[in-house]
This record gives sequence, structure tokens and C-alpha cells, in this order.
Amino acid sequence: MAAGHELHLLTGSYALDALPDNERAEFEKHLARCPSCAEEVRGLRETAARLALATAIAPPPELRARVLAAAPHIRQLPPAGRGPLSANGLRRLPLSRAGLSAGILVLAAALVFLLVTNFSTTQRLHQSQASNQAVAAVLAAPDARVASVPAAGGGTVTAVVSLRQREAVVTSAALPALPASEVYQLWVMTPAGAARSAGLLAVSLSGTAQPAVAGGVVPGDRLGITVEPSGGSPQPTTTPVVAMPVSA
Amino acid sequence: MNTSATTPGQPGPGHSEGGGQDPAGLLARVARGDHAAYEVVYDQFAGPVYGLVRKVLRDPAQSEEVAQEVLLEVWRTASRFDPVRGSASSWVMTIAHRRAVDRVRSESAATAREQRLTPGPVSGDDVAELVETALDRQRVRRCLGALTPVQAESVKLAYYAGYSYPQVAKLLGIPLGTIKTRIRDGLIRLRDCMEVS
Repeated sequence: MAAGHELHLLTGSYALDALPDNERAEFEKHLARCPSCAEEVRGLRETAARLALATAIAPPPELRARVLAAAPHIRQLPPAGRGPLSANGLRRLPLSRAGLSAGILVLAAALVFLLVTNFSTTQRLHQSQASNQAVAAVLAAPDARVASVPAAGGGTVTAVVSLRQREAVVTSAALPALPASEVYQLWVMTPAGAARSAGLLAVSLSGTAQPAVAGGVVPGDRLGITVEPSGGSPQPTTTPVVAMPVSA
Repeated sequence: MNTSATTPGQPGPGHSEGGGQDPAGLLARVARGDHAAYEVVYDQFAGPVYGLVRKVLRDPAQSEEVAQEVLLEVWRTASRFDPVRGSASSWVMTIAHRRAVDRVRSESAATAREQRLTPGPVSGDDVAELVETALDRQRVRRCLGALTPVQAESVKLAYYAGYSYPQVAKLLGIPLGTIKTRIRDGLIRLRDCMEVS
């Protein structure tokens, strides 16, 4: 993974849709953590739109009749409210072989998370919307697969894995609440026994984790969740409540 | 090219953010299923959507197909447009550009397109052939002209030709690490130039 500074240089390429798919997913994860990047991308997108407007040419006249006639037969999406997955990254759904119902479970979990969580500032909202694009990219991957396992201590953890993108989206339902001094931490654990942190899970009072993206996932790895002291740990310090194998 | 993207009496996109033709307000009405509003949205954006898609894809038949998808996507997802997060133009053109680029990068299209484009890359300069009297076009042309040649070329190849930045780097014979900076600097200078004018 490139350093943050170097990733920041990608705002321009991102705004022009000039990132290769794998880098786009990585950059979208970075965007989720970098409000200044998100703001810059927003401005550069406006600039790109100006470039687009300058290309206007009259479309074939018959297109108008065709489009206007077709629209009434197309069901419109309902408003997403403040749902995190309203981000336009979702356009590439539906999930293919992944199993739509499990995908919807993840989406629903994300929505529930937002509904029960008070996002007090627009900045946090922007962050969640950006991270949703990363989530949506995994969910929309043609090779996405879904698995759910019970967690030791209660609750369920669901992961959507795209081996092509080497990424997994992890969420949960009904994970037991932790005291303020503890957090759930997500890991990518290799067969050799090494563990790499994929960040802390933001878990709501009802035990629903905001979907988190783990990168660099390859067959043979396991996705693990441990209980760690507040702030997280460099390496797992407790037995995982979940260790889901990632298979090809 | 003398065709006008908008019919007389209808303001062109980019000039109509106020009044009854306000694109953001129109999209809100479209989200409620308002067909009359959708017709106006169509008339405002069909030209830019088709122009941009055509610019990227080249092939007229494919462009028409993708433009149709984009315009119907605007109808379908109008409720997801959030004026807080950007302008209506930006929202629509982002959908259009993404769709066009997706099409370009899907393998079959890529092959066909490569054959059409060989030999040599597009210069990106043919945007000039579309330049008419519209203020937007003059401004874009002038601001592109204010960039360094490499900045201008890399922005045009990325956006108008739909190339990824590694492809742009290869076409221009510039190191990968450098091209990211050129594209970003170029776009930032464009932004600043267009804000001022």
C-alpha cells in the first residue's frame, strides 16, 4: 500500500476515473479516512464536469423519443435517506453469484448502523459515504462470495470476499456490547500465523458493525475479529471470537 | 460541427443553475416521478452526456446506447442525487463518464477500440473541433491552453479518451510517479482557472 502522501496525489486521477480498478478501491478506502482528499475530489469532479459540458453535441433525434418513452416503465429508486449505501458506488449492484440475499444482509446492516448511529457532523457523513464506495466495489465484484459464521460469545459475522480484488467486506449482527475500554478489531491472518490489522470495527449498540474493508486478502487467509483494549493493538492479544477461512 | 446541444429557448447546462430550470430542483422533481421535469432534464443534459460518451467511445452506435443507459440511470436514481455533495451537472456527468469508461475498459470494447485507434493515440486536441460560441467551451479551451503541454495532454487523454493513468504515462513516455502529479496539478490549475473566469 502506498503512503498517504502518495495516495493524496491520486485525487486528480480519481476525479477523472483514471485509476485502474484495484487502485480505485484502495484510494476509496483512503478517501474514507481523508476528509481533505474527499473535499479536493469533490472540487475536481466539478472541474471534470466542466470539461464534459464542453463536449456537448446534439444526440440523434430519435434518442429523445426512445428515452422519454422508456422512463415511465423503469421503476425509480426510493430515496436512500441518510443510508450510507446511497453513494453512487452502488450502481454496479446487483451482486451476481454472491447471492443477493446475503448481499442485502450486509447492506441492511450498513443501513441499520447509520440509523442507530448519530452522525453529528457532515464530515463524518462524507467519510462514511466514501467508505461505502469501497464497500460497494467489493459487493459488486463479479467473483464476490458471502459467508456468515456465529461468533464465540454471540452474534453473527458476515463477510463478502472478492479474491479478484483481494478484498473483504466484514459486518456483524448482534455482537455483544463491549465496555468502553475495549473494541473489536479486524485482522487478516495468514496461514503462517501472522496477523495484519484491518482496523477497528465500529459496532453499534445492537451489535451491528459498520461494514469494514480488509485489503490484501488471499486464499488461505482467515478473517479474524478479536477483543482488544480501546484504541486497538498492533497484534491480536486475545483469542479471536471469529476466524473465517478465505477459500478460493 | 454546427449542431447545437440545446434547442433555442432552453438554457444550456452550466448556465441554468437558477430559476425554474434549476437542474438540482428539476432532479428533485424527477425523483418524485415528474415526467415533465424529466423532459427538461433530458433537454439540458442529453447533449453533454452524448457528447462526452461519444468523445470517449468514438463509435456512434455504442455511444448512443451508453448515452441512453446514462439518461435512464438519471431517471432511475434521481432520488440519490444530493445537492450538498455537488452540482447536478457533476452528478450526471460523473455517471456518464464512469459508464463510458466502464465500457471502454470492458475487454471486448477495449480490443475493438484499440484496433480503431491504432496507430497512434488520440491527441485530445479534437475537442477544439467542438468548440463553439458557448461560454463553457471557450473557458475550457482557454484554461486548457493555460496548462503546460504535458498537463493539458494528460488531462485530455485521461478524461476525453478514457485512459487510465498508467496508460497515459505510457502514451506520453512519462514515469508513472510523475504522471499522477501532472494530472492532479493540471486539474487543479483548470479548477482555479475556471473559478476565476
